[in-house]
Amino acid sequence: MSTPTQTETSNSQGLGRLSDLWNEYLPYWFIAPMVLVMVSITFFPGAYDLYLSLIEEPTTNIFAAEFAGLDNFRTAFTRGGAFHSFVITVTVVVSALALESLLGFFLAALVAGVDDSSSIKSFYRVLFILPMAVAPVSLATIGRLMLNTEVGIIPYVINSATPFASPAFLSDMPLLTVILLDTWNWTPFMFIIFYAGLSSVPDTLVEASRVDGAPLWRRYVHVIIPYMKPVVFVATLIRMIDLFRTFGVVYGLTQGGPGTATQLVSINIYEQMFINNQVGVAAAIAVVYLVFVIAIANIVIAKVGFEGVWD
Amino acid sequence: MATQDIEPGSEQMLEKDTRETLVTVVRHGLLLLWSFIVLFPLYWLASMSLKPPGQANSLPPDWIFLPTVFNYLELVQQSDFVGAFVNSLVMVGASVILVLLIGVPAAYVLSRYDVPMERDILVWILSSRMLPPIAVVLPFFIIFRELNLFDTRIGMVLMYISINLSLVVWVMKAFFDGIPETLEEAARVDGATQFQGFMKVVLPAAKPGIFSVAIISFIFAWIELLFGLVLTSFEAVPVTLFVYSFIGSRSIEWSMLAAASMSMIIPVAIFLIAVNKYLAAGLSFGVVIKE
Repeated sequence: MSTPTQTETSNSQGLGRLSDLWNEYLPYWFIAPMVLVMVSITFFPGAYDLYLSLIEEPTTNIFAAEFAGLDNFRTAFTRGGAFHSFVITVTVVVSALALESLLGFFLAALVAGVDDSSSIKSFYRVLFILPMAVAPVSLATIGRLMLNTEVGIIPYVINSATPFASPAFLSDMPLLTVILLDTWNWTPFMFIIFYAGLSSVPDTLVEASRVDGAPLWRRYVHVIIPYMKPVVFVATLIRMIDLFRTFGVVYGLTQGGPGTATQLVSINIYEQMFINNQVGVAAAIAVVYLVFVIAIANIVIAKVGFEGVWD
Repeated sequence: MATQDIEPGSEQMLEKDTRETLVTVVRHGLLLLWSFIVLFPLYWLASMSLKPPGQANSLPPDWIFLPTVFNYLELVQQSDFVGAFVNSLVMVGASVILVLLIGVPAAYVLSRYDVPMERDILVWILSSRMLPPIAVVLPFFIIFRELNLFDTRIGMVLMYISINLSLVVWVMKAFFDGIPETLEEAARVDGATQFQGFMKVVLPAAKPGIFSVAIISFIFAWIELLFGLVLTSFEAVPVTLFVYSFIGSRSIEWSMLAAASMSMIIPVAIFLIAVNKYLAAGLSFGVVIKE
């Protein structure tokens, strides 16, 4: 009779000690897995890229590795076309970011101004987010279907409905095509965040500026945008970071071509690694790209600051 | 607009009214134009997926046609496609569950405790999003081959977690910040431990946040191509890679390609519409909900 009771007691004591440990150090248990994963996806790849970029032949045995100095970096920026791909990337990021921000804000302002009572307002809001459902590789499919010089609908319409001959989008103006496709894909991202930001501007603030008789654009520049500055800042920052990650749509659409006309840095690294088998060169470009993107993002964060975003 | 009574003889009022009508017309004109730009490519893809293969590319296009599910039936019979689709569902689904298990408790700690260097930790977490995937995948490609994780679902799940962890921590921290601490204090007065308070009081209150961040994480992993391209070859191929290799094949079967793309888009579109109210909070890393 007494034995099971005793076991039970000692058991619950053991469990009790465990649960004390659990409760006492709860924040540590809670945050440890995240820190572990975060270290392995930030410090580890960065350090490993650096290691690969500094050695001759890739090997996991550090002691057998032959130090190559900056040879890989030199190759990357001479024969590797790294500089060219940085120019292409910055062009795409800057133009797409500008187009998506302006268009997203414009659309958000247009929708925000629609009468609240009409259900068409929420119709627009839902409809305009749909392009985000299209994966980059599906967008490449759509681009190839619609822009194909022989069977595409867009060249067909241009040729038959306008006096102009349609350009061959993917070979004559690949970069612009990529930028416009990305704009179609991701303007919704800016739209939805800006729309939420605009909706949070108190009516009294807008009314007051209206009474002042300020013209529309001044109301936006001096009253509304400053009020929603944190929102504008975060949306632009995150979209910029994500634009530097672009790969799928371009790789599916042009594979970086024709020639190297749309060779983003990410495509250049991929090709150095998996087509030219130049692991060191690929890693060297990756290291420069890593530093480049993190530096830009941190400069933006430091310049604009997170005031109003945090506390 | 109807609330503004026009007094007879008040020209100024009348003028204002015409102007407002004009603004409304222009506004809806522009909005309809953008609606068309949004819808036409989607319509075109959908219609192409519903046309019989021979009719898909005829120009001038057959605007009126008898829709057929032939392409979808063909697609489902391809074991490659079904395998890739199931792979994506399983891998992305598992990664979302894991990223929530790792990220949500961490976000709770960052929100409730005085963590030293909290801002630096948050920027560090955000920096994982700044790392271009190609720079991350290079080391993992080499390590995964050593660890026999190359072309496995487990390896892909790990990579998908890396895309979304920063998003989950940031958004959930913002959601937890918005939940008053008095709720847990009341629970603790009733004798609940910190952990019980978290499970029974805080998590239920943060449900909308968890739901939206789960779906947004699902989408970001679902549309990812590069990891599949580099880290899989046969067994763990995601659906994005299937569509990509379809594009690359010599003789493109346009209508099948359209059907494959559509079946990737439809689930995501449904998800987006389901969470559209919380989308801004999720996509802005939790900044918008503070307003």
